[in-house]
Amino acid sequence: MVKLPPMDYAAIMPLLILFGAACLGVLIEAFVPRRARNITQLLFSLAAVIAAMVFVVKRAGNVTAANAITAGGAITIDKAALFLQGSLLVLAFVSLLIFGERTLEQGGAFVAQAAVTVGSEKDKEQAAKSLGSTEVYPLALFSLAGMLLFVAANDLLTMFVALEVFSLPLYLLCALARRKRLLSQEAALKYFLLGAYASAFFLFGVALVYGYAKAVDFASIHTAAAVGAGNITLLITGLGLLAIGLLFKVAAAPFHVWTPDVYQGAPTPVTAFMAACTKAAAFGGLIRVLYVGFDGLGWQFTPVLGAIAALTVMVGAVLAVTQTDLKRLLAYSSVANAGYLLIGVLAGGQLGLQSVLFYLVAYGLTVIAAFALITLVRDADGEATHLSRWAGLGARSPLFAGIFTFLLLAFAGIPLTSGFMAKLSVFGAAVDGGQTWLVIFGVISSIILAFPYLRVVVMMWLSEPGESTPSVSLPGVLTSTALGVGTIATLVLGVAPGLLLDLADKAAAFIR
Amino acid sequence: MSAVQTGEIITFFILAPLAVIGALGMVLARNAVHSALWLILTMLSLGVFYIVQAGPFIGMVQIIVYTGAIMMLFLFVLMLVGRDASDSVIETLRGQKVVGTLLGVGLAGLMATGIYQATRDYTVVGLEAANKDGNVQGLAKLIFTNYVFAFEVTSALLITAAVGAMILAHQEKSGVKAVGQVAKMRERFLPGNYPGPKPGPGVFATSNSVATPAKLPDGNPSQRSISPILPTRELTAAEKADKPTLTGGA
Amino acid sequence: MSLSAYVPIVGLFALAGAFGLFSVAAAPFIGPRRFNRAKLDAYECGIEPTPQPIGGGRFPVKFYLTAMLFIVFDIEIIFLYPWAVSFNMLGVFGFVEMVIFIITVFIAYTYVWRRGGLDWD
Repeated sequence: MVKLPPMDYAAIMPLLILFGAACLGVLIEAFVPRRARNITQLLFSLAAVIAAMVFVVKRAGNVTAANAITAGGAITIDKAALFLQGSLLVLAFVSLLIFGERTLEQGGAFVAQAAVTVGSEKDKEQAAKSLGSTEVYPLALFSLAGMLLFVAANDLLTMFVALEVFSLPLYLLCALARRKRLLSQEAALKYFLLGAYASAFFLFGVALVYGYAKAVDFASIHTAAAVGAGNITLLITGLGLLAIGLLFKVAAAPFHVWTPDVYQGAPTPVTAFMAACTKAAAFGGLIRVLYVGFDGLGWQFTPVLGAIAALTVMVGAVLAVTQTDLKRLLAYSSVANAGYLLIGVLAGGQLGLQSVLFYLVAYGLTVIAAFALITLVRDADGEATHLSRWAGLGARSPLFAGIFTFLLLAFAGIPLTSGFMAKLSVFGAAVDGGQTWLVIFGVISSIILAFPYLRVVVMMWLSEPGESTPSVSLPGVLTSTALGVGTIATLVLGVAPGLLLDLADKAAAFIR
Repeated sequence: MSAVQTGEIITFFILAPLAVIGALGMVLARNAVHSALWLILTMLSLGVFYIVQAGPFIGMVQIIVYTGAIMMLFLFVLMLVGRDASDSVIETLRGQKVVGTLLGVGLAGLMATGIYQATRDYTVVGLEAANKDGNVQGLAKLIFTNYVFAFEVTSALLITAAVGAMILAHQEKSGVKAVGQVAKMRERFLPGNYPGPKPGPGVFATSNSVATPAKLPDGNPSQRSISPILPTRELTAAEKADKPTLTGGA
Repeated sequence: MSLSAYVPIVGLFALAGAFGLFSVAAAPFIGPRRFNRAKLDAYECGIEPTPQPIGGGRFPVKFYLTAMLFIVFDIEIIFLYPWAVSFNMLGVFGFVEMVIFIITVFIAYTYVWRRGGLDWD
């Protein structure tokens, strides 16, 4: 007779809640009348995220080395996992608010029926009147649940399933923009094809690692690597392939090519969700693989990953300078940020982990606020994202131009913003960890990257508003809340980062 | 029993070239449908390899799911796009094909030598230990105990796939009212309508197409006998001519 | 693993092939031969055989939905099979796991059904 391994339901409750809520969300789609769907789905999803958060917080108090690993060794709910899950939930909560916005545009940012041919009569009709599709909520919940599992997976197989669970809904969400639908569909197709390709690399890596360690769980891989029996080539090749899959998700160069197209084409709420949550989840997975699984290799891979980090920060920064579209600019900025985060990962040790955890939250909140603001600047064709359209915005709407300026300064890493503290902690940890050469690249890249940000600031304030300057729509409660939360967090984490840094410090411990 | 049996060797040396030919054919075939068919060859060969290597379950899954279901989906997608739709041969990036091929071959070479080097000294233990209670039972034990969470989460993938297919491929009907049975019946018996069944299509002795119209007593084709979605067929002179009724030995 | 378990399958394949060959080879000798032009036509399910299919051979996208649903249930069956084979070994918890799995997959089915994905027109 086979026995079910013990399940610590208190530990995996957040996961169960989110998966259950996503399933119920699909049923809501099936049974609730169309008019009531959006509000039902929005409230239901937010409630599910809050409920999951409650269980994460409750669990945080009583994590021990003994009770962290559960579900037959498939899941580790240690402090780092809980921190990442908590931050994912917070970031997702704020993004879901933008998902629910309906005052900026009739029916919201999502198309009603993506199957309608672009440009047909029916399409014009639905663009003008119909309610947006509400499948986005269960899809986002599925994705979020996958991310929560991804950062807590204790073996590579569970990690792979989680990777697919959180990627698949994202591919779909990218295709659902109400305006500029062809761009959106192109983005989804590119993301899907390249993502599937990257997943294949990940899976190949899992197979090779299994060939070496004869197991897929991180503890066994660590032991096998530390003992170093047999031919280590298999393990290193496996790690290389795993890293390709993960670096694709974090958008590190040279695996970043999907980022600008996807960020630009996806509906802006989805872009915000991806920029904040995918990044956090993917880095969560990456640090678990490197710190827990492959620590036994003695960090031999640092030079290779270091080269990728250096390349990423430079590519992101240099290409950001040449962009003329705000969403693309932020996409390249997100590539560069992936590089800074990688520098933090390579710093190693407690300090490196702490800095990465802090960075993920700080960056996520700022980037959500930035994309929330982009949804506000609109003309008759939807969002006006071309840089030239933002010229003179400061005169039209000083408040929103001011907020955006502040967010851009945070991206640039100016003191008194969370961006400064995040970069400081990452670079500090890297110097501490003996990776000074990476910090030099990071600082050069930051200086280059400041240029495109400041150009936008200058355009907004010093240009005269022209005929084509779009108006800034007054946001509804939901977007205002998201924008407010993001902006205030950017300020608070810049002025008084102590609380979150302490929390990240306490959380910066994995259990193998 | 880690020694390789003769049957296994023979199977391998027959199927391995076939698998490689299938893979090459898939990449090189001009027509997308041919590519898909080549891929089936490769997948079937792989399925047999799995079975030969003591993994009957994965072998059958390979054949049922991949060669059966997934390839069917491939062909469906090809038919959606139109089987004559071909790629544009213009390269958007100059030299992309050459560089891509070189990098691909380089990666394959690197991986192959790496894996060869790494596994050269391994002693093969076979799957006796894993399969001691039976292959499927061994898998079941793992799926339903240690990997139960991953297994249950797979259903999330399935739901996402179904929802995604609905979102991307399904259009809801708009404005068409359902007509009830009574109304339909009334309409059918309205003056001017012929309520009886329509005549069947054409002359099956000379044509096997349902698009061939039946002939009315005066020799004219009856348009009522063919479905409106079928294109009408031009009859040849031989078909138009009145057929003699076979009587006796004539 | 011994491959001798597959010998009957190989035998069956051989039998099926032999039957096909025999039928084709024997037909000219024992069947009646009467010429009819229609017999030489390509047979495409009764539809007019044309070199160019209607609409360039493109299917309506609706087929995709059907195919996708088929795959979803196909994959469900792949999990059902090892469960069924090991049912007596797994006991109650295995039964509960499978019920949960089937219910979640049927959520997808309910959604598609309620939204009219299964209606053809």
